[in-house]
Amino acid sequence: MKRREFVKTIPLTALVPAGLAAAQPAHAQTATATGQASSGASGTGALPDYAGKILDSDMNGVGPDGKPTGQKATFSGGGPSAKAHDHQMKLTKEEQDILDGKEGKEKAKLMKILVVYGNAFGAEKLVDLGGAPHSNMYVGTDYMKSMIAMFDECAKAGLKSYAPYTVNPRPYDVYNVNNNPGDMELIYEGYKLQRELDWVHVRLGAPDLNFRSCACYLDEVGNAPKPGTYVAWAESSAVNFGNSALGIRTNRNGAGMDLLSAILGKAPLFGLMTDEGRKAKWLVEIKTSKQPDWGAVGTGIGTKVVEDVPFITGIEQYFEGGKVTADNLHLLKAMGSATAASGAVGLYHVEGVTPDAKEKGRKLLVKGYKTYVIDDAEQERIIKTFPNLWPEKDGDPTAAFIGCPHNSYFEIVKFGRLITEALDKAGKEKAAIPIYMFCVNKVRDRVVEEEGELASKMKRAGVHVTNMCAVSYAGMKGFSERVRGITNSAKTRNYSTIRYFPDDILVEAIVTGKIPKGA
Amino acid sequence: MAKKTFKGRPLLPGKLEGKALVSHQAFNTSASYLENMFAGRTDSAPCTDPANKELYGKDMAGQILCTTQTVGSTMGAGCIMGMNDLGVGFTAMLFSSHIDSIAAAGLFMDDIWNGRRIFTIDQLGDEFLEAVKTGDQISIKEDGTVEVG
Repeated sequence: MKRREFVKTIPLTALVPAGLAAAQPAHAQTATATGQASSGASGTGALPDYAGKILDSDMNGVGPDGKPTGQKATFSGGGPSAKAHDHQMKLTKEEQDILDGKEGKEKAKLMKILVVYGNAFGAEKLVDLGGAPHSNMYVGTDYMKSMIAMFDECAKAGLKSYAPYTVNPRPYDVYNVNNNPGDMELIYEGYKLQRELDWVHVRLGAPDLNFRSCACYLDEVGNAPKPGTYVAWAESSAVNFGNSALGIRTNRNGAGMDLLSAILGKAPLFGLMTDEGRKAKWLVEIKTSKQPDWGAVGTGIGTKVVEDVPFITGIEQYFEGGKVTADNLHLLKAMGSATAASGAVGLYHVEGVTPDAKEKGRKLLVKGYKTYVIDDAEQERIIKTFPNLWPEKDGDPTAAFIGCPHNSYFEIVKFGRLITEALDKAGKEKAAIPIYMFCVNKVRDRVVEEEGELASKMKRAGVHVTNMCAVSYAGMKGFSERVRGITNSAKTRNYSTIRYFPDDILVEAIVTGKIPKGA
Repeated sequence: MAKKTFKGRPLLPGKLEGKALVSHQAFNTSASYLENMFAGRTDSAPCTDPANKELYGKDMAGQILCTTQTVGSTMGAGCIMGMNDLGVGFTAMLFSSHIDSIAAAGLFMDDIWNGRRIFTIDQLGDEFLEAVKTGDQISIKEDGTVEVG
């Protein structure tokens, strides 16, 4: 894709050479003795109820029960050079020119950040990015002010992403989900900078909000670069799917580095972008007697391998002809997102199915790899580790959440049919509990166009289709106290008090309003 | 107490004397600054992560954090920048392990874009974290040397 840059000519500014201390932060002084924080706030008042309960779609390191999950942060290693104290990557003339300020002071600063960052992880060079970026800068909370301001300056300077890019879903939906005073209060207090953030995205090159989705690779959204394409994506589930099912090459970037790389059209080559970094340290053998529980299997794999790359066997038969298609990608989406949530997996291989595995087979396994077997007993054991965090453990469910990551068209139709047919069988039109189904607006529109009758029945059944982020909803003020949620998503389960059930149990609970005995 | 010296990789070098604030478990950036992030507190930065028994309730503003690496939301990079904006960030972050990509992003972005530096050294080794205690006098040098005691 052609790179488009609109760079405003500004006077060149000398850069502070690397290694010299920059200006000290205002508070910098000889550090004081530690002790308890003084009482009395200097801010606006008491800590609001929603503080700490606004969840992001990526790992928080703490489970919904408040205990550390043992997750490590996004990519904490690198190649051998990553440890070197004086590692310096090689730059092309073009890159050096940017660093020297020949394309403006903003791009010079961005390039400096990228080079310093890449050096820290042992990158030998920068690579040109292709396809399109994906950003997970989606929460306009106060504390993101500084980062939002940084990219606002870039936008004001006329900088743009090298290609139109996709963005995670917004953290709220005031039309279909949060249309009540309590939620609205939280939204307007908690997401004060959402408008500013959206405006930054518009100017940097994101399409309209109807394309907002964590499942950016769906046909309806269209961000599915070819295998081997270098990109700099953020959002754990998108990175996980992209690297694995699409065969693209990206590290698991944090918020900010995604946009920074997008503006420069470059990223440092290290980690999952390299052949060496894509090798598998684990062989995972799925030996369940029937189709595995994809969320459970993903949770088990993520917990076991953490941030290593697993090579998975035993599931090829669920992908006809070894192809990942619109009708089966949701299986990898469910499994993969669970590995990224319970662990920090940025890439997995599936024998006979995913691009890297098709090309290189078991040569992807490193010498001395470890093996993990998931049979029926192990799958059952994994499921038994899922705690019941409802405040009233034996209560009845009060809402169902389907689609994290965002549903594909296939999934919306599948669950739509399962639910409405089950209701028909039970002689009912409306479900016992509201059902929230999360998908990009483009998928919703397609369902309305192609399955109009089903869409009507779903609406009458109590289905709310929304394009917001499910995890963000689960993290809202008071949610865990007032909602006993059920879900098909192991990722949502990992981050919230919502309980995970297989499809048949989920549908029964939706129809009856009761968890079947023994489930 | 006899001084102990450790050498790490100076990612954002500088010279500083101060007191250590130690967390043997990885520091969860986005969980630790709730009062600052959501109530705009600027006079101090009490650690609000109840899962971190060593730091919970302690004032982190202007301290020298000694830990393994950071964990938590990928928004953590923005949180680091935000806390510096409020004036309650650390003066230095000393990691026994390799720095993680979230902390790296926030620290480098704020240093280079905003000129706000938190001195950062990684790969100081497990022995460093075993030796240093909260309240210990720390001396940081530009070449990545850290003296404890």
